Amino acid sequence: MKMKALLLASALTATMISSAPAMAARDYISIVGSSTVYPFATVVAEQYGKSTSFKTPKIESTGSGGGFKLFCSGVGVEFPDITNASRAIKSSEVETCAKNGVKDIVEVKIGYDGIVIANAKQGEPLKLTRQEIYLALAKEVPDPKNPDKLIANPYINWSDINSSLPNTKIEVLGPPPTSGTRDAFVELVMDEGAKSFEFIKKMDKKEFARVAQTVREDGAYVEAGENDNLIVQKLQANPAALGIFGFSFLDQNSDVIQGSIVEEQAPTFENIADGKYSVSRPLFFYVKKAHVDVIPGIKEYLGEFSSEKAWGEEGYLADKGMIPMPEAERAQYAEAVKNLKTM
Amino acid sequence: MQNTPQQSPITLRINAGLKKRYNTEKRFKRMGISAIVIAMTFLVFLFGSIISNGYTAFQQTYIQLDVSFDQTFFTGENLAAANFPGLVKKTLYSMFPDVTSRNDKKLLTQLVSSNAAFRLMGMVTKDPKLIGTTQKIWVLADDDVDMLIKGHYDRNVAESNRRINDKQLAWIDALAANGKITKKFNTQFFTSGDSREPEQAGIWGATRGSIYTLFIALALSFPIGVAAAIYLEEFAPNNGWTDLIEININNLAAVPSIIFGLLGLAIFINFWGMPRSTPLVGGLVLTLVTLPTIIIAGRAALKSVPPSIREAALGIGASKIQMVTHHVLPLAMPGMLTGTIIGMARALGETAPLLMIGMIAFIVDIPGSVTDPATVLPVQIFLWADSPERAFTEKTSAAIIMLLAFLMLMNGLAVYFRNKFERKW
Amino acid sequence: MDLTADMTNQPFPTQLFGDDAIDTAEEKAKPSSRQTVGDPFVENPRMICRDVYVYYAEKCAINNVSIDVGRNEVLAMIGPSGCGKSTFLRCLNRMNDTVGTCRVEGDIRLDDMNIYDPSVDVVPLRASVGMVFQKPNPFPKSIFDNVAYGPKIHGLVSNKTELAEIVETSLTKAGLWNEVKDRLHEPGTGLSGGQQQRLCIARAIAVSPEVILMDEPCSALDPIATAKVEELIAELREQFSIVIVTHAMQQAARVSQRTAYFHLGDLIEVGPTDRIFTNPRHQLTEDYITGRFG
Repeated sequence: MKMKALLLASALTATMISSAPAMAARDYISIVGSSTVYPFATVVAEQYGKSTSFKTPKIESTGSGGGFKLFCSGVGVEFPDITNASRAIKSSEVETCAKNGVKDIVEVKIGYDGIVIANAKQGEPLKLTRQEIYLALAKEVPDPKNPDKLIANPYINWSDINSSLPNTKIEVLGPPPTSGTRDAFVELVMDEGAKSFEFIKKMDKKEFARVAQTVREDGAYVEAGENDNLIVQKLQANPAALGIFGFSFLDQNSDVIQGSIVEEQAPTFENIADGKYSVSRPLFFYVKKAHVDVIPGIKEYLGEFSSEKAWGEEGYLADKGMIPMPEAERAQYAEAVKNLKTM
Repeated sequence: MQNTPQQSPITLRINAGLKKRYNTEKRFKRMGISAIVIAMTFLVFLFGSIISNGYTAFQQTYIQLDVSFDQTFFTGENLAAANFPGLVKKTLYSMFPDVTSRNDKKLLTQLVSSNAAFRLMGMVTKDPKLIGTTQKIWVLADDDVDMLIKGHYDRNVAESNRRINDKQLAWIDALAANGKITKKFNTQFFTSGDSREPEQAGIWGATRGSIYTLFIALALSFPIGVAAAIYLEEFAPNNGWTDLIEININNLAAVPSIIFGLLGLAIFINFWGMPRSTPLVGGLVLTLVTLPTIIIAGRAALKSVPPSIREAALGIGASKIQMVTHHVLPLAMPGMLTGTIIGMARALGETAPLLMIGMIAFIVDIPGSVTDPATVLPVQIFLWADSPERAFTEKTSAAIIMLLAFLMLMNGLAVYFRNKFERKW
Repeated sequence: MDLTADMTNQPFPTQLFGDDAIDTAEEKAKPSSRQTVGDPFVENPRMICRDVYVYYAEKCAINNVSIDVGRNEVLAMIGPSGCGKSTFLRCLNRMNDTVGTCRVEGDIRLDDMNIYDPSVDVVPLRASVGMVFQKPNPFPKSIFDNVAYGPKIHGLVSNKTELAEIVETSLTKAGLWNEVKDRLHEPGTGLSGGQQQRLCIARAIAVSPEVILMDEPCSALDPIATAKVEELIAELREQFSIVIVTHAMQQAARVSQRTAYFHLGDLIEVGPTDRIFTNPRHQLTEDYITGRFG
């Protein structure tokens, strides 16, 4: 008898749930997008949630590409209002958006993120150039004996590339191809390093991309997963290894790891903010203008994000490791936010 | 032969092989014991590392502030709109009067969590009589202070490499000398939702999310799974179709759960238009994940009911459904419950399918119903493990401890219910 | 033979040996003969089986068996293992329906009702043809619930007092009442083997069947329990028709009035029990009861 009651109760619950109105007006902001922007956007969201009467926005970490895909799938409560990105929107994505009726998009640049190449404090501090990094990590590199020919990467130790570098094995822990950090690293370091060889620079676009962006697969580059904390821990365990990750992780773990100097510049807050450190990228978010007056609180969220106490030089985002934009740029984007200037 | 005349040749031959037979037994026993020892070692190591990493998270560092709720701060109509961060700052400055430069003041205010202002706001709005008085109030310390007090930061490394500089160290030591810093039980951890500030982050939001999600998964998958198992085992004709269904169910049990996530995204969200990131959709997806397990376990449990019971029921004229509901099902129920709990335990640990339906998200507010955006315990662990702040390391381990505790609770309940149902007959 | 004259639609087996024919001939039927020896029919039968064939998939398990079950008699079915006696028994209340591959041909009637007619429902059939199994199989419920189960599901009682009465009479008839009346609400599985089997008999008679089928009911019991069950069978005969399958020939001799000997799916010989055991007319029967095989 008890069994029957149990079955009945479960069945009842099931019907109750399935008949509940699935769609209701959404009263919170839905944000998707880049995992790089995620740690910053969440701080803003939390601050906003606590200091206003609105609900705290929901932020999903989907990666920049995944974010645009969701963002561009349409207008309506079931689609996100804002997407974060660690790169600018592509024209193909703008087209997809337009096709699905997402026409008025507000682009907001929020600051910069540096990508650092770091090792443990016990290890030797490194001074690298982008060319050296390219030579250390590319699958095919110019033959040192015959500089116009490509050969499979022969370098085993750093000192094989440049005798002033330490005589330790090349071992780099970095993000997998799905990560935005990897995209930025390839674009900012590998491409530039490859360009330093004239004959590679002259290659056609496709061939160049293949040569410059294919990372070696013989164990020198280890894909360490999306978890940057894990890379930091592995670096501590293995002082000879280098790791590639976002600046905020260096900032938070400065007592145990050190950033390598790239192109004569150390990865410090100031150097990235000044644009001296070459491996940095802008961070963005994109707002669906059609949602602004439908979903409560979007304007206030944008106001919180573009306030000086958030993205300013002394703001709390800087505390979290985001590199602020120069004052003029901040003013320009704050203005764009205020007027909801579309692209 | 001569020295052992009483033993027949057969006995001798048996005796000759005896030693080998016993040795085989001994070897097997030794192998079994070593397997168990290895498994236990790993388990102890796992628990040891998680607990040693995580137990500190159950305490949190607090700083005592002598807050004077000065009338001048509360001139406006709306008490909540008063400048509480300013009040916190003013209190700190008054506690360290020799801090004057702007930069130092900023460093000083960094010692206290941003939560302090909200705490004061809560106190005042609840009890406006506090205005005009001076109170000793314990507020949360910043996560860096917390890490230092708990000994996760090394004081001896060079200042530039520390997140707490020499001046801050001196202030912290001064506070500690006056008994104004203490570690208290971290109630915040069990009552609040996620936060980007480690000292304010809590597990309750994710726990609630897990409870809602599992509730829906259980409420759907248990009756559906049991009904499917009963139909397939007791009623379905034995033909090619049932074989095909059986093979498919077995295959589904082995399908990577992310596939179910994709299915959930396509059907529940895109087609049915259910809200993203909610326990409702999460529960539906986890129902799909657990159903094959429950059906397979249910069928095995039904199979194990002795045929004599079925014959007894049929022999007395019970109809098939009476035979099943009166006799077979009660006997199979303990086995079915075990299968369900195994399925639920799997569901509790799932993150992959939830990725597709947007439950891997930063959610601060504690969900109040199944249609509020929510996240679940394993996702919370995943998110914290990926956060740059060092203090999240111990939170991650603490969250794992909570997840394990949750699992043990579920298993305990399962054992309890199983015994209860078993005793009934 | 005239006793079956009212069943004109029945194709009778044509070559049955009459009792007298064999008696006078003073010779045994040859072992190769598969004709039923003796008279399988009785006056005013409770159940009538004609030309019954049973197949498991393609294998023929019962080959052209015709026999009657009389009123208030115990019919024993004996034969070596695998001879089909249990299979035949299970045809009488359609328990073979639960075996997917089993197919029954021929005519089996209970009080003129063809039990294999598509319109016949097995639920009431099994209520009127009860069954007791080889291994005692009480439900894992209390003694009371075991006996009360049948009357409850068939709606034979309208209130609790009636139910308690039925339980008491059934247990009394099964000779178990005095042993269990103080612990009716203890699990039936806690009784001894013999008590369990008598509980199963009580459970079967609680729905007032017309026929009780017993499939080696004592094979799992010790001699004392067996004696009790046999005693019980003898008493039950006054009210019910009983068909019992048994391996123990002494048991058949003790409890039954008629005995049927099965051999490899064939019904070899039927007759009054004392005659079968003293003067078998078929070579196979004699070989079996004298212990030459089986």
